Parts: sequence; structure tokens; C-alpha cells
Amino acid sequence: MNPLLVYLLLLKATATSFSGLAGVPIVHEDFVVNRHLLTVEQLNAAIAVSRTIPGPNGLWVVGAGYYAAGLPGAVAGSLALMTPAFLVIPLLIWAGRYSDLSIVRNAISAALIAGAGLLVAITFELARSSITSPLAAGIAAVAFVAQTATRVDTLWMMLASALAGLIARKLTSG
Amino acid sequence: MTGIRLRALAATYFKIGNTTFGGGDPTMLALKHDLMDNKRLLTPEQFALTFTLSRVTPGTNMLAFCAATGYLLRGWWGAIVAVAAIAVPSSMLAVIVSGAFESWMSNAYGAAAINATLAAAVGMMFAGAWMIVKPHLRAGAWTRTLVILSGAFGLTWWVHLTPLQVIGIAAVVGAFWRERPAR
Repeated sequence: MNPLLVYLLLLKATATSFSGLAGVPIVHEDFVVNRHLLTVEQLNAAIAVSRTIPGPNGLWVVGAGYYAAGLPGAVAGSLALMTPAFLVIPLLIWAGRYSDLSIVRNAISAALIAGAGLLVAITFELARSSITSPLAAGIAAVAFVAQTATRVDTLWMMLASALAGLIARKLTSG
Repeated sequence: MTGIRLRALAATYFKIGNTTFGGGDPTMLALKHDLMDNKRLLTPEQFALTFTLSRVTPGTNMLAFCAATGYLLRGWWGAIVAVAAIAVPSSMLAVIVSGAFESWMSNAYGAAAINATLAAAVGMMFAGAWMIVKPHLRAGAWTRTLVILSGAFGLTWWVHLTPLQVIGIAAVVGAFWRERPAR
């Protein structure tokens, strides 16, 4: 499989979606249904991997590229993941020019608050699958306090959480 | 633009972007915590602008946020370095893990550690939402803030509008419903 074609097909998915997994139906159509380059199981595995490792949710395109065309496919997937991000810069330059206008400032502040609303909605969705025990609820509460009331580095917070999970697993498994 | 060196910029994005589980939002909020709250390299206004624009940029929001903040810190090279510092190592990890996914997932200790960090990510995301909203909950502004916040939540949760639609509606409403300036 030509890596350039893999890049263009994956770019079609990443550049026409606005969240990590929104491009999955496009890749399913192109790679699974039309070209038979991936199985449904491989696409699911690529998605699952992206949810269980650190980094952007959109990393599933790297896994999809890897399963479709090996390492060159993974490179194509990584480039397809990165390319649309740079579209923000012309937007930033344009918005920066008008950011002193009161109407633009008010629109941005409202969009930011709406972004917090979106964040709460997404967090509730994530909490339903990840806050499944008192320990998980406790870790979430500690992370909330640490983030809002201290300057603790995120890395330490994550390492402490992982350690708590490992200790809890060790204790429960006897 | 700031005086931050490209190497230091790469180290910041590499460290946060490749150690934060839970996807884009916890990572963007961790970057805000580091770049704005701790190092004072970004102003709250710059964070607001980049956070908002990253949500209306096609592709992965988090990488758009990195490109935008990297651009503000060190121009085009800053944008490229910020995006690459996150995307390249995590892509390499994705390839390694994709190759050994099934055996890795059956490891109970690995799953326990990942689940615990996902719980922490939930706490960080709620904290992030709170820290975004808090400055807008002052006298004379809280009604507007609560209406926009709950409206965005409702349009996402119950009406299933896309983030772009929700932010577009909020921006139009907000443009004409002025926020009273802080005294």
C-alpha cells in the first residue's frame, strides 16, 4: 500500500473531523469497506490503543496506518494526525487582529465558557466508565484539589495515581 | 513572543503531552497549569483565545492547541516543535503498543495503573472546567456565565450538537450579551 495514499486517506478523516474519534466512520468506509486494508478488529484495536496510552485521542490513525501498511503507514498516520493542527495559526493571526474589539472579546469569552460546558459533558461521559470504585472516586477528588489548590506538577499526580492503582491491585489480589 | 528556548519548549510539551492520560482536555489543562499558572508565559487572554480556536480547528484539538500556544511562544518553529514533541513520541508508542496490544491488556497490574490515571484525569478535567469558569463568576456576570455553561452542557448532553455547533451558538450569543468588565 502506497504510504502517500494512506496519508491522504487518513488526512481526509482527520481534516474533516473536530474531535479525536469523529473521523472513525470515514476510515471505516475507506479502509475496511472499500479497500479492505483493515479489518474491523484492527480498527477497534487501533482505537483501544489510543485510549490506553498517553497522548492525543487521535492517535488511533497511527495504529490504523500501521495495521494497513506497516511502519511507513504509521509515519503516514502520524503526519495525517499533525497536519490539520497548523490550520489554527491563520485563525489565531486573524482573531488576534480583532481581539481588541468588544464584540470579539465577548464572543471569545462566551466560547470559552461554552468550552468549559463541553468539557464537563465529556468528563461526565469519561467518569461513567472510569469512576467505578471508591478508590477511583478518591483519586479523582484528590486530583481535583491538587489541580485547583496547589501547583503540583501533573506528572507527579499521574505517577502517584498509577502507584495508588498498583498498590490497590496488590492489596486486593492478596 | 517569549524568550523561551526551543529546547525548553520541546521539553515542556514532551513531558506533559506524553505523560498525561485521558486525551486532549487533561493535556491542554496541564499545559495551561504549567505555561500560564506556573511559568507565566501565557496570559489568561491568550489561553482563552488558543483554547477556543483549537476547538474549532479540524483534527485533534489538543495538537491545534499546542500549535497555537507554540506559535505564541516562539513563532512557526515553536508551533512545529510543540506539535512534534507530543505527536512523534506518542506515535512511536502507539506503534509499539499496537504490536503487542492483546498481551498487554491482559496484564492486571497494567490495567490497574491505567485505570487509576484515568480517574485522576477525570478529576483534572473537572478542575479544568472549574478554573475556566471561576473568573467569569463575579458579580454582574454570573447569570451570563451560568446560562452559557449550562446551555453548552445541555446542547451537548441532550441535543447531541457537535462542539463546533455549540461553540458557534455560544459565540453568537456572547457577542451580543456583553460580559460586564471586572472592576
